[in-house]
Amino acid sequence: MSERATRRINRVWIVASGLTVVSWALAKTRSSGSATTSATEALAVLAFGAIKARLVIQEFMEVRTAPPWLRRLTDAWLAVLWMTVLTLYLS
Amino acid sequence: MLQTPDDLETARDHVRLPGDRDMWIFVLGDLAFFAVYFIIFMVYRHNEPTLFLTSQRHLNLTTGAINTLVLLASSRFVAVAVQAARRGDHRSAARTLSYGAVCGTVFIAIKAFEWSAEIHRGFTLPRNDFFMFYYMLTGVHLFHVLLGLGILGFAVHELRQESPRAWIVEAAATYWHMVDVVWIVLFTLVYVMR
Repeated sequence: MSERATRRINRVWIVASGLTVVSWALAKTRSSGSATTSATEALAVLAFGAIKARLVIQEFMEVRTAPPWLRRLTDAWLAVLWMTVLTLYLS
Repeated sequence: MLQTPDDLETARDHVRLPGDRDMWIFVLGDLAFFAVYFIIFMVYRHNEPTLFLTSQRHLNLTTGAINTLVLLASSRFVAVAVQAARRGDHRSAARTLSYGAVCGTVFIAIKAFEWSAEIHRGFTLPRNDFFMFYYMLTGVHLFHVLLGLGILGFAVHELRQESPRAWIVEAAATYWHMVDVVWIVLFTLVYVMR
């Protein structure tokens, strides 16, 4: 059980770290030249950020196996925050 | 994450609140406060898009990304330490938890380097609204990292007692991972999103 849990923790860590490197690389390509926005890239990095935050909450914080009230509250927190950010970015 | 039938069965069979209910209430309250800070940041960004976009280019994206990797590594150590504490391997749990705390200390050192470089280049808090948010958000987060290090230290101390309580390690882990979640959002909105 513990070994399987550790393997799962390592997988989550690798995926979250990988997404961080991809986000960094995407932003780095845009850090030279004029300061411009890119909705496609912004949506991609927002999606990566949301996935990383949910992975940490579900897996490291063990909300995946927590009572339903906590699963619903943490998902509601992520949904409200990310939808508001997205609405403000796109408006 | 893909879930195997085994995982689903485990999830159904072991529904439980990790750590401590009071710690969860504290963590959820903190997350709500941070969400408000982030939304206010986005409102200001919406009102002054050019200022935020040009100011953001003066941040050190690479140190921000390295700090994200450092905090993710610390969270990984802390999650592994919880597993060790549960199986009764307290020595290993204390050692792994300490590795997590070392990563937290590295995060603070990198943040101090980043702040001093920004201040040296003239990008101080009163410079404009973007830098006001940058120092306020990273400063409040840094305070949480310091508090988290104290909580991790308390958990390591508990693990060195004769019969340590595993829930204290779990509650410390809950707090530490919350600090990681907040940083993931901060890094995405303040450093990366153009």
